[in-house]
Amino acid sequence: MKKYWFIYKSEVMSDLQYIFNLLVGFISYLILIYIFLNLWNYMYDDPTQVINGYTKNQMIWYVIITEILWMTVGGRKLCRKICDDVKGGNIAYNINKPYSYIGYALSSHLGGCTVKAIMFTILGMITGIIFIGEFPKLTILSCIMVLITALLATIINTLLIIFVGLISFFIEDANPFYWLYSKFILVLGTIFPIEYFPSIMQPILIYSPIYVVSYGPAKLFVDFSWEKCLFIIIAQIAYIIIAYLLCRLLYKKGVKRLNVNGG
Amino acid sequence: MLTEVKNQIKVSFLSIKYALLREMLNKTTFITNVIFMILNNASMIVQWIILYSLKENVGGYTFKQILLLWGIAAGTFGVSRFFFSKAFSLADTINSGKLDAYLVQPKNVLLSVITSEVEVSALGDILYAYIMLFIYGFTLPTFLLFTMFCIGGGIILTAISIILSSLSFWFQKTDVIADTGNRLLTSFATYPDGIFKGLAKILLFTLIPVGIVNYIPVDILSNFNLGLTGIFLFATFLLITLAAFIFYKGLKRYSSSNLMNARI
Amino acid sequence: MSVIEVKNISKTFKVKLKEKGLKGSLKSIVKPKYKKVQAVKNISFNIEKGEMVAFIGPNGAGKSTTIKMITSILYPDKGKISVLGLNPEKDRKKLAYEIGTVFGQKEQLWTHLTPYDNFKFFGAIYDIPEYQIEKKINELKELFELDEFINTPVRNLSLGQRIRCEIVASLIHEPKILFLDEPTIGLDPVVKENIRTLIKRMNKEYKTTVFLTSHDVSDIEKLCKRVIIINNGQLVLDDTMENLKYHYLNKKIVEAKMKEPVNLDGKDGLTILKDRGYNIKIEVDTTKKSVADAIKLLNPDNIIDINISNIPLENIISSIYKDGDTK
Repeated sequence: MKKYWFIYKSEVMSDLQYIFNLLVGFISYLILIYIFLNLWNYMYDDPTQVINGYTKNQMIWYVIITEILWMTVGGRKLCRKICDDVKGGNIAYNINKPYSYIGYALSSHLGGCTVKAIMFTILGMITGIIFIGEFPKLTILSCIMVLITALLATIINTLLIIFVGLISFFIEDANPFYWLYSKFILVLGTIFPIEYFPSIMQPILIYSPIYVVSYGPAKLFVDFSWEKCLFIIIAQIAYIIIAYLLCRLLYKKGVKRLNVNGG
Repeated sequence: MLTEVKNQIKVSFLSIKYALLREMLNKTTFITNVIFMILNNASMIVQWIILYSLKENVGGYTFKQILLLWGIAAGTFGVSRFFFSKAFSLADTINSGKLDAYLVQPKNVLLSVITSEVEVSALGDILYAYIMLFIYGFTLPTFLLFTMFCIGGGIILTAISIILSSLSFWFQKTDVIADTGNRLLTSFATYPDGIFKGLAKILLFTLIPVGIVNYIPVDILSNFNLGLTGIFLFATFLLITLAAFIFYKGLKRYSSSNLMNARI
Repeated sequence: MSVIEVKNISKTFKVKLKEKGLKGSLKSIVKPKYKKVQAVKNISFNIEKGEMVAFIGPNGAGKSTTIKMITSILYPDKGKISVLGLNPEKDRKKLAYEIGTVFGQKEQLWTHLTPYDNFKFFGAIYDIPEYQIEKKINELKELFELDEFINTPVRNLSLGQRIRCEIVASLIHEPKILFLDEPTIGLDPVVKENIRTLIKRMNKEYKTTVFLTSHDVSDIEKLCKRVIIINNGQLVLDDTMENLKYHYLNKKIVEAKMKEPVNLDGKDGLTILKDRGYNIKIEVDTTKKSVADAIKLLNPDNIIDINISNIPLENIISSIYKDGDTK
């Protein structure tokens, strides 16, 4: 476990150099939130109105959280890196190393997310308070729970993207699969909470990764309840185990194929 | 003069054609790229179906007009990224000294650079744009106007990227600024202007000319207005001139500059 | 008539210094520090029509910077350049019609197209009428022996074939001056020889002035009658190949296989390069001692085998580089 901590740490360190780029990147985030602020201001007639169980402020906070989660992960880069590792033969090089590739990919990518996560969280909160003017009613303890679910969400998201990247063992280009995954999360998981979708779709969305990757932490942030929190964390742990096992399975099959066919 | 322009256009089109042929070497990748981009744009319809289930009119737009707005957004984006793809990585080209190769050719440096690559997925955007136009309602005049707006708007987007990227002639690390600026334009492009008020609205028609690229065309296509069309064409012309002016100012500096990264 | 006139040109670069650590990189955003590097210092030379000139120097000597200034990519800080009577700074486009460039490491061809299509593209760039392009392509196809692969996509060609195509592409518009930057880099000896022959033939056929840079001494030796050497941005030598050789020819290498070991320590004009008892290698400075005297010292009766040779050009050039460094 120590080596993964080390990989994580060195990735965090190297990321600090790009803080300028991250700050400029935050402008894109700010613009997006600004657009949603305007959109919901327009859609809601007055602040007390409740649509599908959410007030206007809750809707804006919801997007603030889901966008932080999504932008922090930077999935396209990760997927491309995994694909390159597979295609470029880096994986073959890693087979002889005394660590698991998935562990390596996960820890190094989480390292790459850390600085961004901290920065986006702080700046995102400030943005929210400036734009909306009020903070959801949260105790310190529930704040911590939100952070935990956010961390778990990032781990699941990373594992799922690694899974998608590993598909390139078997097909020429796995990027279209990543694209499908990202569209799924972005269109159905970040803009609106699950409650906004038609009631036939809702059960499907609850069991989909959306629930654990974006909806969970954001919902807890805008409308905390211990019951829901417990349910989300159990679902997240289940997802982590399943996603990890799936990655290992795919990796093993892929390596076997690599050994047979050559890199 | 006239033959010079003719030759320049011939070379630019040849360049785009060859760049396209390069992308078409792998047919599967080519077709998936195009189709996925169409699906990509189409998936965002979900957002608007939900919003229009809450209200009949969002930001002064009917649902059909939103589709048209999407068409214009995809069309202008597509034209700029397909024909002038390199304008969007121009900062990198400048920083890495890759302009050198174009400087020894007796052609317009700016045009030669920006037409030297194509982005295949942008073809998907262009196709999507016309699909939206057909859903909105096809007539010959709207088709012609729509095409003009896509080309004009695409040129405006390209010009803005050239202006922002040219900052790299003077300042370092400005490539992220160019990227952010370009993203800013696309972020606003698919939301109706009615939801913005005050300063934002003024900005959208001036500094961030989403209003000119996207809102005015939708307006004209819904309800033809000669004056607005004139404004659109004037803005296009103005931005081309400005982009060329700034780029060549920068290019002069590039050649006489003493700032060096990889160019010794 | 001089086709290239370079007068006292200089060029200084500011290189951004990168500081270590987070603090350093934050500091360099606010107030970057620069180091001045004088890439070219007061260089002058003239090149005549039809000449093949080698322009050489170690890595970072300022070769590329000079070429870029002559070809209008960069402008000098000081000095004047005139190429075919044009000022590269002002007449970039006009000049571009008159010169051709081949950069061995950078490709200008579209690799997915055939050489033929590439040549047509270059023809269009230089505004050559259709019928004339065809004629020119045919002519160059003969000269550079491209027949076999003129319709094979460039990416499927060998490196040697590619370079030949690169050269042809840069000749389509009949340039008066051709700049060849490391044309034989990465090629095997047979192919190198082939390229040299072709360049020579081209020079003879079209009287094209050739400005060549290379790290390969045989390129220079076999192609050029004149050498310009620069080091640390300064011109160290501008002379004919003959003079260069002659100047250093007063040193001979004598290798001998002896019946008995000889002791030559301390003899004036002789430098012992290798002494293995029966096998000996010495350098003779003929201004101080004739070769005959040196052989006498070895005792001719004792010699089983002897080989007398010139100092390889490669050594001559690297010793010039070193001289430049110590200055």
